[in-house]
Amino acid sequence: MQMDIRQTGIFRALGDPTRRAVYERLIAHEETVSELTARFAVSQPAISQHLKSLREAGLVTVRREGREAHYQARPEGLKPLFDWVAHYEKFWRGRETRLKAVLEGLDE
Amino acid sequence: MSKTITVEYDLPFPPAKVWRVLTEPKLLEGWLMPNDIAPVVGHKFTMRTQPMGSWDGVVHCEVLTVEPPRRLVYSWQGGARDNPAYGQPLDTVLTFTLQEKPGGTLLLLEHSGFTDRNEFAFTAMNSGWRSHGGARLKQVLESLTG
Repeated sequence: MQMDIRQTGIFRALGDPTRRAVYERLIAHEETVSELTARFAVSQPAISQHLKSLREAGLVTVRREGREAHYQARPEGLKPLFDWVAHYEKFWRGRETRLKAVLEGLDE
Repeated sequence: MSKTITVEYDLPFPPAKVWRVLTEPKLLEGWLMPNDIAPVVGHKFTMRTQPMGSWDGVVHCEVLTVEPPRRLVYSWQGGARDNPAYGQPLDTVLTFTLQEKPGGTLLLLEHSGFTDRNEFAFTAMNSGWRSHGGARLKQVLESLTG
């Protein structure tokens, strides 16, 4: 069973310890880039980069208020990891070509 | 409530051949995954795929019905049992039905028994993480590192 693109993105986004810590923080709290920067003792560009990865993976949303951007974890973002039905549906449909190839190769 | 996936394969090969690719380990591996299947009721075997999170990628199966060359049923269990959130145990059944037709076989695959447990875990986590400081989600995240 192959992972799909969304899953791969989630695994990649959460594969980095700092990013994972940022994500965990955003589960319980909405925070700005400067608040996160202060908390994690890394540069602001680094935090912004982490947030970008998390947003691209669908794990974090941003709410703009004036000049401030407030980040929060997106609960449904992890859903692709739980969705066995979607996994298998795709998996079985994708097997037809290989199945036919094996049958082609069988002796009479 | 449980869900079933249904897929039809229209195969230009006789049922006897299709039966072989469902029941002979080497042939089955050729289109599915490494396994040690045997078409014997009660036979327990495994399928091996890519690990995901805390799930080792091993699917545990047991043959439930064998009616050559018409019907083959086995259980399909996977997922990580040690993790309440990600990779909930998967306890499903796979049914292959072969229908002979002019020039070939219509192979019907039904993968049934998907429960909403995964959905429950997700919902519980969703509502719980704000009140419990994300403890459950933390478990999920920890499982992702492996």
